[in-house]
Amino acid sequence: MNFVKDDKMIRIEDLVFEYGWDEEEAAAPVNAVDHVSLEVERGSFTAVIGRNGSGKSTLAKNINALLLPASGRVIVDGFDTLDDAALWEIRQRVGMVFQNPDNQLVSAVVEDDVAFGPENLGVAPDEIRERIRFSLTAVDMYAHRKMAPHLLSGGQKQRVAIAGVIAMKPEIIIFDEPTAMLDPEGRAEVMGIIERLHEENITVVLITHFMEETLNSDRIVIMDRGRIAMEGTPAEIFSRTAEIEALDLKLPFAVELTARLKERGIDIPAGLITERALSEHLLTLWKGNETSDLCPSE
Amino acid sequence: MSIRVENLTHIYNKGLAYETKAVDDVSFTVADGEFIGIIGHTGSGKSTLIQHLNGILKPESGSIFIGDAEITAKKIKMNEIRKRVGLVFQYPEYQLFEETVSKDIAFGPKNLGLSEEEIDERVREAMQMVGLDFATYAGRSPFELSGGQKRRVAIAGVIAMRPEVLILDEPTAGLDPKSHEDILNMVKSIRHRAGGIVILVSHNMGDVAEMADRVFVMDGGKLARVGTPAEVFADEAFLKRIGLGVPPAARMANDLAARGLASGRVILNIDEMTDFLADTLSGARESKS
Ligand SMILES: Nc1ncnc2c1ncn2[C@@H]1O[C@H](COP(=O)(O)OP(=O)(O)OP(=O)(O)O)[C@@H](O)[C@H]1O
Ligand SMILES: Nc1ncnc2c1ncn2[C@@H]1O[C@H](COP(=O)(O)OP(=O)(O)O)[C@@H](O)[C@H]1O
Ligand SMILES: [Mg+2]
Ligand SMILES: [Mg+2]
Repeated sequence: MNFVKDDKMIRIEDLVFEYGWDEEEAAAPVNAVDHVSLEVERGSFTAVIGRNGSGKSTLAKNINALLLPASGRVIVDGFDTLDDAALWEIRQRVGMVFQNPDNQLVSAVVEDDVAFGPENLGVAPDEIRERIRFSLTAVDMYAHRKMAPHLLSGGQKQRVAIAGVIAMKPEIIIFDEPTAMLDPEGRAEVMGIIERLHEENITVVLITHFMEETLNSDRIVIMDRGRIAMEGTPAEIFSRTAEIEALDLKLPFAVELTARLKERGIDIPAGLITERALSEHLLTLWKGNETSDLCPSE
Repeated sequence: MSIRVENLTHIYNKGLAYETKAVDDVSFTVADGEFIGIIGHTGSGKSTLIQHLNGILKPESGSIFIGDAEITAKKIKMNEIRKRVGLVFQYPEYQLFEETVSKDIAFGPKNLGLSEEEIDERVREAMQMVGLDFATYAGRSPFELSGGQKRRVAIAGVIAMRPEVLILDEPTAGLDPKSHEDILNMVKSIRHRAGGIVILVSHNMGDVAEMADRVFVMDGGKLARVGTPAEVFADEAFLKRIGLGVPPAARMANDLAARGLASGRVILNIDEMTDFLADTLSGARESKS
């Protein structure tokens, strides 16, 4: 069934998913995703956070039809994941990038790896060459196209994995903890690419345990025991400090530092959630102090 | 118990076109009770280095002494070493193989030949330490857990052995913030109780700064720097050049310093940052009057 295209790229309606469970166990199965409804705007950047086992990856796999609902529906760009005939359309639209850079690359040469997906889609050879070029360029790895993946750093491998997904020309990319295994430089590289993809109107869903990585998102969704516990912009979410802590999450560094400085009587307005924004404000405060030191008449 | 490593070199795929010198003439000692943090970009040789410390990998050349035992010697009994040196792998989820969580954790202690009661006690204790509720998880299949839950099972399996040297290779990757903190606290408490050596490989500069007595910096298979956290993290330019960084507090302090607001000391954590800013920003106002 094909629905009208609209500004919602993903519609999740009362989704329930449960993994099979042991018949002998007395306890009732817990739904890995439990009555979740969520709409994701076309071209938006959604960050999904929540404790281990809260259902983030399960939710993600329901979006690209790797898993199918027990009840409820998932509609991707108008296509229902329960509709067998739509599977092809959905897989073409949704790309996934996972945590471990080492087991996502299958080929002996970087460019073959990127070609792998389009080849499976039956894309023509000329078009594949073009896709290799633009997707490796997009992640700054075109110069490395002839290299063996095992010679790359973790961040570079992860960028090649992302290029492989970009080469499929997806409309949505779901990143499931793409930086968890990376060194600081690799993390920064991958986050830079995610932000660039977002600027280019790809719909981005980022699952992460790093609060800092959610700060540039349009919306944060917090999962808890299969349900959505909180939803809002980063500034809204991280102003609700008690709730965040009750969900076993953490405040971003700048928010934590702001709270502590306020306790010490330093005046800081709400909503400075990035280190950069907080630094700017602190510098202004400091310069204000300096000038008033220099001009005692003030 | 101490560790001594002398001129250790490891080469993968020796003689083949793509041979890699993953560890290159590395020497160091670790004193009894020391906490070592190892940082380095991906591929710098961290995992290769530490896999030598419990004999999983054999070096191309060089020697390793754990206490008095030279584990690189020909006739050494590896079982003895593995009892004393516990290693949590970087991808511990691949270490899981039993049909239930409790069996998986019991595997090591069983091989030590302990009694059933002792094994059971250790399994329960280890599960508690990593924050896995016994009633909920003991009977579950380790393959049907979330990524973070698998990681805890793998860590529990190693701590159930009560090793004298505990080595953790990026143990908190993929853990939610609370579990991350719990694992670090667990590592601290184990150390407090047993007083053994802990070696933590991590990409989290803040954790290393907070926990380690000394930091080893790996770069291209070599031990590039060794020092206290304050010494090592004082040089952000160097660390960035080799793909690393400094803890968030240090990063922000350096940024403020570059724009004129300098602290004149090494700031490693949020407490130090708060003190510095509170003093500077309110102090200026007070000194006026
Ligand atoms: N293959 C599986 N079989 C059975 N249960 C599973 C399976 N995979 C996950 N689960 C269970 O489903 C729930 C949700 O798991 P999921 O992997 O979606 O969590 P997550 O939020 O991605 O966690 P993490 O942060 O650790 O990656 C958990 O209770 C988990 O134990
Ligand atoms: N099993 C292996 N076979 C061949 N090369 C390997 C193997 N494991 C690691 N290497 C190579 O050895 C070097 C060091 O890797 P590793 O010890 O895993 O570094 P780190 O843990 O610091 O990321 C890298 O060049 C890596 O590609
Ligand atoms: Mg997950
Ligand atoms: Mg490693």
